[in-house]
Amino acid sequence: MSQESKRYRPNHTPCGRTRREFLWEVGGGFAGLALIDLLSSDGFFFPSAQASSTRKMPAALLSPKPSHFPAKAKHVIFFFMNGGPSHIDLFDPKPALTKHDGQPYQGELSVGSNNRPIGYLMQSPFPFKKHGQSGLEISSIYPHLSRHADDLCVVRSLYTDTAAHASGVMQMNTGSVVIGKPSLGSWLSYGLGTQSEDLPSFVVMTDPRGGPIGGSASWSAGFMPAAYQGTLFRSRGSPLLDLATPDNVSERRQRHSLDLLNRLNQEHLSSREQESELAARIYSYELAYRMQTSAAEVVDLDKEDEKTKDMYGLNDNLTNDFGRKCLIAHRLVEKGVRFVQLYSGGGHGPETWDGHVDCITNHKLHGYETDQPMAALITDLKRSGLWDETLVIWGGEFGRTPTSEGVGKPGRDHNWYGFTMWMAGAGVKGGQAIGATDELGFKAIEDPYHVSDFHATILHLMGLDHKNLTYFYHGLQERLTGQRGSLIQKALA
Amino acid sequence: MLVRQVTAASVFLVVSLTHWAFGGASLPAPADTTVDFTQQILPILSGQCYGCHGKAVQMHGLRLDHRPGALKGGESGTPALIPGNSGGSRLIHYISGADSSIVMPPQGDRLPEAQIGLLRTWIDQGAHYSEEESADKGQAGRSSHWSFQPVLPAAIPEASDGEWVRNPIDAFVLEKLEARGWKPSAAATPRVLLRRIYLDLIGLPPTLDEQEQILDAPTPERFDELVSELLKRPGYGERWGRHWLDLVRYAETNGYERDATKPSVWKYRDYVIRSLNQDKPYDRFILEQLAGDELPDRSAETHIATGFARLGPWDDEPADFAQDRFDQLDDIVRTTSEVFLGMTLGCARCHDHKFDPLTQRDYYSMVAIFDGLQRPRNGRRELDLPIGTREQLARLAARDTEIAPLAQEIERLREDFRSSFLASGESKLLEEANQAFLTAPKERTEEQKNLVQKHFEESVTEVTAAMPSKTLEEIHFLEEKIGTLKMATPDPERAYFMHEPKLPGPTHLLFRGRAATPGPAVPPMVPAVLADPEPAFPDAGATSLRRLTLARWIANRQNPLTARVIVNRVWQFHFGAGLVRSANDFGAIGQKPTHPALLDWLASWFVEQGWSLKKLHQLIMTSNSYRMSKNGLPAYREEDPENRLLWRFPYTRLEVEVIRDSILAVSGRLNRKMFGPSILPEVQPAALEGHPDPDKIWKASEEAEASRRTIYAFIKRLMIIPMLEVLDFCDTSRSSAKRAVTSTAPQALTLFNGDFITRQSHYFTERLIHEVGLDFDKLIERAYRLTLCRPPTRHERESMLDFLRREMEASLWESTKVNDREEVRRAALHQMCRVMFNLNEFVYPD
Repeated sequence: MSQESKRYRPNHTPCGRTRREFLWEVGGGFAGLALIDLLSSDGFFFPSAQASSTRKMPAALLSPKPSHFPAKAKHVIFFFMNGGPSHIDLFDPKPALTKHDGQPYQGELSVGSNNRPIGYLMQSPFPFKKHGQSGLEISSIYPHLSRHADDLCVVRSLYTDTAAHASGVMQMNTGSVVIGKPSLGSWLSYGLGTQSEDLPSFVVMTDPRGGPIGGSASWSAGFMPAAYQGTLFRSRGSPLLDLATPDNVSERRQRHSLDLLNRLNQEHLSSREQESELAARIYSYELAYRMQTSAAEVVDLDKEDEKTKDMYGLNDNLTNDFGRKCLIAHRLVEKGVRFVQLYSGGGHGPETWDGHVDCITNHKLHGYETDQPMAALITDLKRSGLWDETLVIWGGEFGRTPTSEGVGKPGRDHNWYGFTMWMAGAGVKGGQAIGATDELGFKAIEDPYHVSDFHATILHLMGLDHKNLTYFYHGLQERLTGQRGSLIQKALA
Repeated sequence: MLVRQVTAASVFLVVSLTHWAFGGASLPAPADTTVDFTQQILPILSGQCYGCHGKAVQMHGLRLDHRPGALKGGESGTPALIPGNSGGSRLIHYISGADSSIVMPPQGDRLPEAQIGLLRTWIDQGAHYSEEESADKGQAGRSSHWSFQPVLPAAIPEASDGEWVRNPIDAFVLEKLEARGWKPSAAATPRVLLRRIYLDLIGLPPTLDEQEQILDAPTPERFDELVSELLKRPGYGERWGRHWLDLVRYAETNGYERDATKPSVWKYRDYVIRSLNQDKPYDRFILEQLAGDELPDRSAETHIATGFARLGPWDDEPADFAQDRFDQLDDIVRTTSEVFLGMTLGCARCHDHKFDPLTQRDYYSMVAIFDGLQRPRNGRRELDLPIGTREQLARLAARDTEIAPLAQEIERLREDFRSSFLASGESKLLEEANQAFLTAPKERTEEQKNLVQKHFEESVTEVTAAMPSKTLEEIHFLEEKIGTLKMATPDPERAYFMHEPKLPGPTHLLFRGRAATPGPAVPPMVPAVLADPEPAFPDAGATSLRRLTLARWIANRQNPLTARVIVNRVWQFHFGAGLVRSANDFGAIGQKPTHPALLDWLASWFVEQGWSLKKLHQLIMTSNSYRMSKNGLPAYREEDPENRLLWRFPYTRLEVEVIRDSILAVSGRLNRKMFGPSILPEVQPAALEGHPDPDKIWKASEEAEASRRTIYAFIKRLMIIPMLEVLDFCDTSRSSAKRAVTSTAPQALTLFNGDFITRQSHYFTERLIHEVGLDFDKLIERAYRLTLCRPPTRHERESMLDFLRREMEASLWESTKVNDREEVRRAALHQMCRVMFNLNEFVYPD
């Protein structure tokens, strides 16, 4: 936090007042108003907090809350490789596959989703090399990222419950294949609150080619209040819905109108002083006004120097989009945003990592698009000191099969029996690969980890015990990890 | 999995004959605490053990859900636990894995050491089950829990302040207040009450005429008449129907990958609105929704009603089909038990309910009731169904069999001519397009597909125009024949509901709720704790009649829950909070009623009045309790911040539907057209970016059509209209008893900057000018009356005038183009209207 305060001046509202002054004017005498940015009306979700000795204020939904135990990480950046990246072409080298290349698969697992054609075993055309001091093996798809090999904890033995995109993306994000559950980012917002009140606490940036299959279900707050849901953030133009002042209204007149609104609402409140909900709603307008400035600033990359732009790949058409998102992710984390999720790939088929037809060309493209930007972000996080408090995650909804899809064709089908994700940064023991799939890369056999184990570990690094992070709903104490989940101990530093 | 369970259990028998080879040394240590059975032990036992060793199932004779069973042990005759000696108790050995040959539970993770420690302490402290538990929960239909007791008409309390008591509700409310020496809040002013009644009952603000009609002589009796009058308006069903749609998880798509639209589902929404407007008795409303296809007097309407079972999300590409089938049934059982009974029976899917006397067997018996239902579909595509008697549907099928070859013949004639025409070179289409049409659909390239799409209409017109008269006559002749057949047997109405094409087979209890581990078969039955008497499930006719039996048992004055649950809901929607705050959970961890006698009195009164919802509204809204102001003494707030005693009328924010509809009404743009397929209000392209098909999913309706009431807006599970979503729309995947109310910055952005508000502010400005001209004083006056149902205060008027003047100056200053004084006025007024729509008082009525 001290770093942040050095970096940022007090947030002045455009009419020249500091927030504190503003609150004094509009909130006159409301103790603790700064905390009640977002209120729950009935105090059902949290016990009411005593704001002053004379009356009770409902607790803020998003005000910072203590973790269960000291946290290693304060923020998460999740690179979501939408469509199912092929672990055997990226992080899980399989010499045996080279040996058996072109032979039929004779194991017991059912391969092929949706009656797609099943071909023969297919080796990876991407050579693997050992990188860094640790000698972690990464394929040629990710040359830039390989420079950070010693920071990555590659988990090669993930498995999930579904081979379908919609339910797979949903499970990776919400822990469940059934619709309606809150996503990881929502759980974190719920459990920890936010440090950045004029930006959303949970930000999602999708691919310009489209959203993931299943769309907003993946960043939904499910049964929790909408305040916890992921906010779609666009990397160009106006980043948030309705953020821009309406056409034909100048900033000055926007402020006039807002001042009038505040004045009238304040007058209304003066005879209803005890109604904290009314005070909270007044405050939400000022917060929105500040968000207009702060969110727009975050996506304004024009003032970045050329070196930074180059590092993130902004000057290359193929890396420009993901590069922008990575650079924005850094700024968001810097401003205290809790959870940032960046999607690579969107829409359908080859526009995602879903390499059914030609996995090789597909992965070359999507790998190239993400490699340099991700590496730049890690470098930048280290430079800014945020690396020590940020957890970085990479992966998709499942992996891909060692068999080709159709004989002699370079596609790979969905593989939910075994696949790879990696984590890096705060609290993670880098420079290692843990767990293993079978010799062909089909099924997780050594230290198999379910998605819920992965989620439990993320929560743990954020200072939360997944068994105690519960939300009472319809008679049950709901959890992100359901009735499952145990820590991936080997990943912890 | 099942095999392993059996093996483990047989080992249990073998081991029990030998002596313990180990003491307590290797076991997790007991917890150093005093344990509470209900809070700490019951959740472990019911979650981990009762599934196989509980009331429903006793594997190898062992029962752990009551003390005698646990002390007796299973078939081996050795106790499962020895009070005072946890180290010697077999239960502890098995769950801790101290004996590697037998481990309990046989599947899933080991119990955490902390839990084993708690169990040890509990045993060491005597292994006491709580009273309710040891009373053999669920047995014999006896439970002392309040909501399971029969509804008895409560005596109306004698009021000490007879003046204040307008009807029995007031007597009950006052009794509680007076017990504390408190007084109810003063009466709301006529204007406040007027606005409250309109927004509450029809969800729209009163017009100026309507305001005048009442306010010239605002007696309590005039307000009584107003309530009766508003109950007769169609807007009542549109306002209160939305509450019901929240409860039944209504949405118009399935969610998941394709998020496909549910065909004809909007008819269910219309059914709800019509039923409420007709004041359909609530018991009948239940019967129709649960078993409209099984009723003796079934009709198209009652079939549409059974859409209730099919409203939930549905994965058309599930990872596990067997499990998915039970997920669908679970959705129905959960929703049914929560909505009609206020019971969280869904919690007993994997294990006996942890808090209520509901067993896993109860749950699967309820599943059996719905197990005959099938979802009509063609692969992944859902179908709606024609409605008719068996004979009608048979005639329809016969008709369609006759029509099919005729239609094929028409198609052949067209196709033959089309190919010869295209090949003849007479087509005036581009050569490439012509070639594309000639290529078989499957072999077309991407480019050709686009060409075909682009020139399709053109080609059809061209081909039809060139058709020789002989072919045309032939086609016409065939079409006539089809027409005649359709005249004789017209298309029946279609609707979205599930059907029972055949009688259901046996339903099995599932261990841990997994389809892969079926247990014993269970018959259709209602929860044992409420089965007094158990309804007889009859031998089946065309359908299993199971749902009808259930529905009759629910829609019954003997059922202790049904009437209590619905009167509580109605109370909640009027007052913002129910007499039972947890409206979907009347169980042990739900809240107890704040006014139990009032709840029971209302429930029995409601049934006596023929389950009439309108009479209930009338009763509530003519009470003085409803007509209190929102002010109250600070001392009361201090002692009762949640207003549980009802010392005042509480503040609640309007739902997003009422906010949007009120804005449309005030701006003069509300389109009062009712019913029919849903509207798609304009949403910004940016809002669609999170979707894989941003260009295809949202074809917005024209503005006039989109300006209908919000209940007619299309609810797409994966793309909830942003304004609705951000303003706390309900969860659409489960029954939603109450909306969250939050105040967030994105809401402020939507209501202050959003396109909808900008437009409506513009229309509102035009309306004001049209009605009163350009005089600021008059404009301000009217704006206040329309939005807030009151004139502005002197101070407000001055603030507004000052604002308008400054706005005009700013406009003139900023733009050199603006020289039209009227334009400048409009621009300023536009800003004023925007502010009016954002006032706290607009969304938090007094």
